[in-house]
Amino acid sequence: MIELRNISVSFDGQEVLSGLNFSMKSGEFVYLVGPTGAGKSSLLRLLYMDLKPDAGTVHVAGYDSERTKTRDIPHLRRKLGIVFQDFKLLEDRDVYDNVAFALYVTNTKRSDIKKRVLQALAEVGLTHKRGQMPHELSGGEQQRVVIARALVNAPSLLLADEPTGNLDPHASSEIMELLRKINMRGTAILMATHNYDLVRKYPARIVKLENGKLFEVELKEKP
Amino acid sequence: MQIGYIIREGFSGFKRAKLSMFAAVLTICISLLLLSTFTLLAVNANRVVESLREKVEMEAFLADFLNPAETNALRDSLTVLEGVREVRYVSKEEAAEIFKAEFGEDIKRVLDFNPLPASIKIHLKDGYKTAHKAEEIAERIRTMRGVEDVIYRKTLLEMLDRRATTLMWIVLGIGVFITISSVFLVANTIRLAIYAKRKIVQTMKLIGATKSFIRLPFLMEGLMQGFLGGGLAAGLLYLLFEYVGQWIASDLSDFLKVEMIAYGLIVAVGCVLGLFGSMISIRRFIGESVVPQ
Repeated sequence: MIELRNISVSFDGQEVLSGLNFSMKSGEFVYLVGPTGAGKSSLLRLLYMDLKPDAGTVHVAGYDSERTKTRDIPHLRRKLGIVFQDFKLLEDRDVYDNVAFALYVTNTKRSDIKKRVLQALAEVGLTHKRGQMPHELSGGEQQRVVIARALVNAPSLLLADEPTGNLDPHASSEIMELLRKINMRGTAILMATHNYDLVRKYPARIVKLENGKLFEVELKEKP
Repeated sequence: MQIGYIIREGFSGFKRAKLSMFAAVLTICISLLLLSTFTLLAVNANRVVESLREKVEMEAFLADFLNPAETNALRDSLTVLEGVREVRYVSKEEAAEIFKAEFGEDIKRVLDFNPLPASIKIHLKDGYKTAHKAEEIAERIRTMRGVEDVIYRKTLLEMLDRRATTLMWIVLGIGVFITISSVFLVANTIRLAIYAKRKIVQTMKLIGATKSFIRLPFLMEGLMQGFLGGGLAAGLLYLLFEYVGQWIASDLSDFLKVEMIAYGLIVAVGCVLGLFGSMISIRRFIGESVVPQ
């Protein structure tokens, strides 16, 4: 699903990732932890190809960074679900249209769009809020809309960058339950997080990003 | 690409961002009002110059010794002369009549004879009513047998030539200035509206929308803004020229005459302005990274 080989990335001459290797299988759930500024978001950006590595190769969902052309990047992103700490909803349209947008871009038939959007909204428990605008929702609800949008195209890999970062503990648990449910159905999830309590509560493979490299971490102590 | 989606999205812009949409429509409308009013003035200034030229007539006075056959031959050779549109023979008697009409006296009674020569009035073709070309024709006619003299309003033509050139440069300068200002004004208003949607554009890219998928609804929106702005400007100008103008100054009705096709043209220019404004603006934002640095 993901294969990173000898990845190096630097910003303004400062190396953020250096000779990094990482692989992840289909259907896996992996936490990506590490201090702020360690490069977790940069690593995720490499995966949805908003960033090109200075050296090394990124393989993700059948695409690789050396051969993928700029015009093919949207096609890769349609295969991924991406969830952010700051939600990144389309603020100018309602919940239904936010989720439907992911299907509009893939040229899905209108009748299918309706069915699939309502299914995705039902899955995150927000069918009744389909007509609300994003700013009318709580943080937890907004993140559930983002997850519904990420799910609606049935992605094989979901990338989550601090998905609970802006949420209270209760909403965070709800999001984690949802992510676990999605993972159990076969979608691989790579989740960058700071929230070690959640990592303990929902155990899975943990990789820690430190000094530009990734290390496997056991759960026994604080990662 | 779903055409229905693009059209729906284009229209949704009116609902989602009413204020910026209104600003764009109004800006396009004001720009077009400026451009159209200026164009009308320019066209009419040119029309005034041309109508003055139209009045310039050449007259070749004939010697008394010409017999009717020679006069006819001369008239025929003038008719085929390059630059001549039409000629009209004025006999000595007609000249006396004209004199009488102008001065109120019969010259034959004052002088006991008619000193006025017969003449041929010559109308020049449009492109030949300049001081230089008219003088060339006059010179050729003067060399013809039986022509005593050729007169025309040379100084008026010289003055029109000078003024027309100055006028043309002034009109061109102001026209270029207004056009460039309008394009910048419209592009800037649309850019501000699109800038406000910058985050939305980045999110769309993150979800896997291609550049053209993002761009087309914006272009559709720009086109509709242009159509509305153009329509509004055309409507206001129509009211202004057809009703208010006539009511305030009916003497200026010729000056304020606008062909119906001009209103269609204003709407078309509005569409082009809206389309290009959004094309320029969206290009800037669509290439940015999806995660602002």
